[in-house]
Amino acid sequence: MTTISDIDLSDNTHPASPSFEAQFRAANEHARRKAQLTRLTLNILGLMLFIAIWEVIPRYSDWVNEVLFPPPSTVLQAFIPMLTSGEIGRNIAISLQRAGLGFAIALASGIMLGLVTARVRWLQYLTEPLLHGFRAIPTIALVPLCVLWFGIGEPSKVVLVAWGAFFPIWITTFIGVRDINLIYLRSAACLGASRRDTLLLVVLPAALPFILSGIRQSIAVSLIVLVAAELSGASAGVAYMMSQGHQLFRVDIMFIGLALLGTFGFLADRVFVALARWLFPWYAAS
Amino acid sequence: MSRGTASLIDVSGVSQIYAGRDGAPTWALRDVSLQIGDGEFVCLIGPSGCGKTTLLHLIAGFLQPSRGSVAFQQQPILGPGPDRGVVFQEYALFAWMTARQNVEFGLRAKPLSRGARRQLALDALGRVGLLAAADKYPHELSGGMRQRVAVARALVVEPKVLLMDEPFAAVDAMTRQTLQDDLLRLWKETGVSVVFVTHNIDEAIFLAQRVVVMAPHPGAIVSERIIDADYPRDRGSAAFGELYGSISGELTNGTRRAA
Repeated sequence: MTTISDIDLSDNTHPASPSFEAQFRAANEHARRKAQLTRLTLNILGLMLFIAIWEVIPRYSDWVNEVLFPPPSTVLQAFIPMLTSGEIGRNIAISLQRAGLGFAIALASGIMLGLVTARVRWLQYLTEPLLHGFRAIPTIALVPLCVLWFGIGEPSKVVLVAWGAFFPIWITTFIGVRDINLIYLRSAACLGASRRDTLLLVVLPAALPFILSGIRQSIAVSLIVLVAAELSGASAGVAYMMSQGHQLFRVDIMFIGLALLGTFGFLADRVFVALARWLFPWYAAS
Repeated sequence: MSRGTASLIDVSGVSQIYAGRDGAPTWALRDVSLQIGDGEFVCLIGPSGCGKTTLLHLIAGFLQPSRGSVAFQQQPILGPGPDRGVVFQEYALFAWMTARQNVEFGLRAKPLSRGARRQLALDALGRVGLLAAADKYPHELSGGMRQRVAVARALVVEPKVLLMDEPFAAVDAMTRQTLQDDLLRLWKETGVSVVFVTHNIDEAIFLAQRVVVMAPHPGAIVSERIIDADYPRDRGSAAFGELYGSISGELTNGTRRAA
């Protein structure tokens, strides 16, 4: 019969010993890091491969026109003076301001209206044909009208972005609030919660996963509508800069605009994901 | 052992009808009367469709009876309120709040300082043995722990009655027994009345001072049994087995008649 004294406890590879756990932990951490590093390396490699091919083909092939398809080095050459002169920075600032303001208006009104239309039955029935009807119109179709109404100044851009970004937030808030699990409302009611607490601490957080997906869509929509609005007549902005490039037959400037827009979209989405994770730690995990 | 005699909850002549898919009326309850005393522990037992949950929801105020009346402390029940705490079968904890915030939620309606609220919530978590889990989110807790938090959340506002809808049905058998022991302890400590819905005969006999047996189609009360055995009850005793047999027989009859 084996007793406890028969097991050699001095052996530090015994499964229960602390050093075995430490080893396991270190190995686990190492494997995780390695996987992360591999992924990052491949990410960067993919990007570099793309740039290299883009550089080589216009330069050394005779089936791609270098003027119509300028390689990265040419684009960079155009980019640096525009950056140092402050032209790029100014255009970025103006574009972001328009998109940001329009999006903020859409965020506030979308959540508020989504909440109200989902909670007040008669208001829902009263507004649903209108809201769904307007939602069906592609926002870009409203660009010419908006220019007529609000001119080519800032208001028309902000209004267009706000209009386009409103609908995804409104509809997801509406669905999230309408389909809230009854058990949450009942729990709040039998704990004696006030209307305000029920709305702010129960209904809104319960609908949050939906609302967040709407916000994410709206970020993408904001950028699309911004470009359409700026292309239709503006005196500054990233898309305006691109249309200038178009008129001057400067494809390199157009490429700079594309790269900037891609970077905005990508960064905005990343920031959104990081912010959501930080603000709502229960959401990603549950 | 029966503690109070004053009637806390008065269900008299209650029928509950709802429209089925084709609009045909379906009877969830037909002419049900039941009194529950102050401090009493009552189990409602029956197969699914017998209206036991409907009856509990009527007392909670989630539903209004189609016929008859439901009164709490001699007043008709018009809606849910903090004098009647509910513990649900599914996990009803707010997923976006930690265990402590969940328990604190019901205290917001009371004129308490932040600190006092926090302390009361921690005390309540302590009573269910979950002080260490106060800052954890529901998804970080096991099923049994979540139901403990749900019980703490319901009890912290000091309701007169705890309405429990198969609260331990989703946890494993070993955890269930611990939860049952804890519930009996809390019941004795607080003096709260408990209306406990279950389809588990063993659970009903182990917990209740009175077992109300219900049958489906239409939902009705078949019998009531007072169990005056001392707590904690011995599941292995002859009396326990005898009760089990007779309730089991009654449930089978009721179900067979309906099927």
